[in-house]
Amino acid sequence: MSTTLKSAPVAVPAGPATTPSSRTRTGLAWLKHKEGWFFLLGLVLIWQLVASLHFSGSYLFPSPLTTLKALRESLPELLRGTGASFLILGPGFLLAAAAGIIWGLIVGTVPALQRLFTPFSRLASPTPPTIYIPYAIALLPSFRSAAGFVVFIGAFWPIFLNTTAGALALPQRYRDNARILGLHGHEYLRRIVFPAALPHIFSGLSVGLVFSFIMLTVAELFGASAGLGRFIQLYADYADYPRMAAGILYTGAVVLLTTELLERIKRRALFWVR
Amino acid sequence: MSSSRLNHSSTQGLEIDHVSFAYEGQPTLADITLTLPVGEFVSLLGPSGCGKSTLLKLLAGLLSPAQGQLSWQGRKIDGPSLERGVVFQDYSLFPWMTLEENLSLALAKAHPETERKWRRQLTAEYLELVGLADASGKYPFELSGGMQQRGAIARALAVGSPVLLMDEPFGALDPINRTRLQDLLLSVWSSTSPKKTVIFVTHDVDEALYLSDRIVMLGASPGRVIAELDVPFARPRQRRALVNSAEFQQLRRQIDERFQQDVLSRIEETSLVGAEAEGI
Repeated sequence: MSTTLKSAPVAVPAGPATTPSSRTRTGLAWLKHKEGWFFLLGLVLIWQLVASLHFSGSYLFPSPLTTLKALRESLPELLRGTGASFLILGPGFLLAAAAGIIWGLIVGTVPALQRLFTPFSRLASPTPPTIYIPYAIALLPSFRSAAGFVVFIGAFWPIFLNTTAGALALPQRYRDNARILGLHGHEYLRRIVFPAALPHIFSGLSVGLVFSFIMLTVAELFGASAGLGRFIQLYADYADYPRMAAGILYTGAVVLLTTELLERIKRRALFWVR
Repeated sequence: MSSSRLNHSSTQGLEIDHVSFAYEGQPTLADITLTLPVGEFVSLLGPSGCGKSTLLKLLAGLLSPAQGQLSWQGRKIDGPSLERGVVFQDYSLFPWMTLEENLSLALAKAHPETERKWRRQLTAEYLELVGLADASGKYPFELSGGMQQRGAIARALAVGSPVLLMDEPFGALDPINRTRLQDLLLSVWSSTSPKKTVIFVTHDVDEALYLSDRIVMLGASPGRVIAELDVPFARPRQRRALVNSAEFQQLRRQIDERFQQDVLSRIEETSLVGAEAEGI
């Protein structure tokens, strides 16, 4: 303990000494908090390095520049594919959001329903939704409906489970307050439980969104005629790896933009959470 | 059987009749019997763990007693009601609604038959009354603790409940805001007619003495009434003069002594029980 006491005054002269170092820091200020970008740049460099090596199978590693060129060339096709993908993803995800939020709020609020539904959701929720794909394709009339269904399943469970957790975590004070005001039924769900559960609901939506992208692209590998997953499958089959790589990068960017959009909505909706 | 007795006491305001309550097997309130007349300002004063907040929740109808019965004007309390407005220490307002939305939601529930325009006007009036006219569009997180409590009081008043239950409403405020809100509460309370019945939970002796007509002292483990005393000071009360008066100081001392006496007798009792147990 005495050593820590002694070390304290030693630290004091270090104060003025920081001035010159902070001056150099201002010179390189633009470097600060950009570590992530440098990491990405490093990855691209490694990619370029690997692509420039000559080894058997090096055709599987198109260089960044080749990939970029392929991306530019196939951009119209990719945009059409994005449209086709979103026509499946949009309805599937939105339906899952609506069903997961409404059902989650009800189940999280009514203990009897929770007891009724919990055994089933314990069983069904951890089942990997990809295993439904062959059956859905066999069962449903079109590929679109089958893919929409598996997107729905993939997104529903995380949204439902998080919403239920949010409704269950409703602070007692809000319950008491709502009871004093005489709020019940759908009004209680809509005005109290729903807004209070929003932080949980949004984490469910983020996970659900990523899940629905996974489900969508996997389903598209199976039997789509258009779409992002289909694009990648097609050019892999043709051994056109620059286009395939371009498709992967493009899909990553689309997922990033979509989740970023959701993040923006979340920040706006949760302005009152401190 | 009980109805005839209740009819007999129908004008008596809040009745607490041999009420006991246990939390997770631990008795928190033991055999409480109190009569709180209409229009009185009563403080429930006691140390933490005396069950004063539990008693308030029982009066609000948020909890049900294990034994006994509570009633308001002869009617049994069996759930929350807008007849009995509650102000908590914090979180009384919903954080996702503006001050105005908080008030108009309460008004819409209390008076569903009224027009939106009327409710808006009433909301504005009550916000004005507590000095928050300019803050109606603000969210609770944009307001200080004192302003939030003003909003909670405005909400309870706007609803027009004849009973106001307050659970340490100023407990989280700094001394300056606390005295301001005490004065605000008193001026609002004395200007309304008929007078509201206020049950005010606090552990602050000065606060209880300054505000109340009557003080109910509660002892801890289990919570029970150890004394009731009338506060004889005339209204309107002048804070500084009152606090410095000999009468105030004497009452204050009396209360402190009574609490101390209770604590001592509790210790004696437990040590006696301990001695007995050792003897066996």
